[in-house]
Amino acid sequence: MGARGLTRPGPIPDRPSRHLTPYLLVAPPVFLLAVLVVYPLIYNLGLSLRNFRTGEFVGLHNFTRAFQDPLFFASLKATGIYVTAALGIEVLLGLSLALLVHRTIRSGWARSLIYLLFIVPMVTPPVAAGVIARLIYTPTYGVLNVILLRLGLIQHEILWLSGAGTAMLAVLSVDIWQWTPFVFLVCFAGFQAVPLDTAEAASVDGAGGWRLFWDIELSYLRPLLLLVLVFRFTDTFRVFDHVLVLTGGGPGASTEFLSLYLYRVAFKFFNLGYAAALSLFVLIVASLAFAILSRYLGREVSE
Amino acid sequence: MSGRRFFPAKALVVALLGGLAVLYLFPFYWMVVTAIKPLSAFYRFPPTIVPENMTLLPFVSVMVRRGFSVLLRNSLVVCLGSAGLGLAVAILIVYPVTRMRVSRRFRRGLFNWILSLRFLPPIVVVIPFFDIVRKAGLYDNPLSLILLYTVFSLPFATWMLKGFLLEIPQEIEEAAWVDGATRWYAFFRILLPQLAPALLATLVITFALAWSEFMFAFILTATPRSQTLPIGVASLVTQFEIIWNEMAAVGTIAAAVPILLLLFARRYVITALTFGAVREKA
Repeated sequence: MGARGLTRPGPIPDRPSRHLTPYLLVAPPVFLLAVLVVYPLIYNLGLSLRNFRTGEFVGLHNFTRAFQDPLFFASLKATGIYVTAALGIEVLLGLSLALLVHRTIRSGWARSLIYLLFIVPMVTPPVAAGVIARLIYTPTYGVLNVILLRLGLIQHEILWLSGAGTAMLAVLSVDIWQWTPFVFLVCFAGFQAVPLDTAEAASVDGAGGWRLFWDIELSYLRPLLLLVLVFRFTDTFRVFDHVLVLTGGGPGASTEFLSLYLYRVAFKFFNLGYAAALSLFVLIVASLAFAILSRYLGREVSE
Repeated sequence: MSGRRFFPAKALVVALLGGLAVLYLFPFYWMVVTAIKPLSAFYRFPPTIVPENMTLLPFVSVMVRRGFSVLLRNSLVVCLGSAGLGLAVAILIVYPVTRMRVSRRFRRGLFNWILSLRFLPPIVVVIPFFDIVRKAGLYDNPLSLILLYTVFSLPFATWMLKGFLLEIPQEIEEAAWVDGATRWYAFFRILLPQLAPALLATLVITFALAWSEFMFAFILTATPRSQTLPIGVASLVTQFEIIWNEMAAVGTIAAAVPILLLLFARRYVITALTFGAVREKA
């Protein structure tokens, strides 16, 4: 368990060869893949330069239009809030839980149990997670209000999905429920990758729990935290499924994140040209996340 | 730290973790419990936490009366098709690149490019794909979903296989070559059997990922001819009058499949999701 080391006995001698066989073998599947991926992206560029209804070439009109679109900026803002809050809470919770379990739970079966428990929300389809959230937050019959009223924490039921702020919280809670385990499991593996003698040497030198964490363990965790942040950023930035099921982007446009807004522009207003232009912006942001990760994975993982 | 102070602290942690576990599993429990309640029990106030009058009627009703068994079948076809196809394509790509001589730059570039697909936002792909698929007459056709799911399973399938292949020493095949076996014989008779558990794990993970996919299916399908189960789930949630126990029943089925599969392949989940950066032994 733990981060994979730099050295691995690779079977491949590292020199260029004149043998074409491997290149010929990978050519057909790679070509097909390229057609399936690259062609739509070029097609998208074509869509973005046209008026979809008339097919007329409009130059950069669809791009400049975005700057005067308050709904686009609203969705950008909502996405920003969502991404920041989800990443912050998930990393904080996941990391502290991992530290807690790493320090206190020693028995193997207890660790396996925790692992098993945490896998469940992570692999629940987002749509099903949305259903669960519906059952919890819905007015009158939602179980959260019932529990809160019973405990006397609130006097009147809260209409979770009708207020902008509470709807955002509800949507966020699903993400946090599903993905804090991911942060936890990665960090937990990271803690276990800290060589035992390093940790022991530190405690012999008088380093307490916190010093051990800040000075030693965190340096082992740093690359993994970067990895977690990049993956969580990628997925929260594109969030769609459970939001559609839970709030549908509402109330108003308070939870209409980028993917939902693009969906509306493309498939409700049927303005594929404008949606394509906006999607190129989404693509650029996503590419930045990949650039960060590929530098990291390129250095640490791929041999 | 003295032993005396240690125990209460540990008890506190265990209690905290236990509470957290309950908090964590309760939402899931609530969906399952709602799925086996008669609708009248759902509207009872206050609701009972432990179900009474359990019934499987919501499941039957949703599968038979609403015809969701067709969506279930679509999901199975699409996910099995794409996972199988994805695995085949992944082997075709990974074997030559890791077992034969290629330049290091080519190998790294190819794996990185395939990894980049993991970062391609689905909304960016689905907008042009919608138009292409409509013009090609593949709108509302399971085939377009199979193709897309295959593409998006490849980052996981290739990177998982790459990790597994690098763990099997090439000497095993080389020994067979020395004994006069052809490359093909060594591949099919020596390497593939060794790789079988790994192939199964890859299949399970890509199947489960495809199973959960929502956006492509939501946009590229229109009728039960090609709609998958998540679309059925969403249709029950967004309709005007929600039949709560039926909604929970479909949600439970949709969730049960990947959960059961991935509990079975749990050793590989984190490794697959982090593309080999983190490896699990649990």
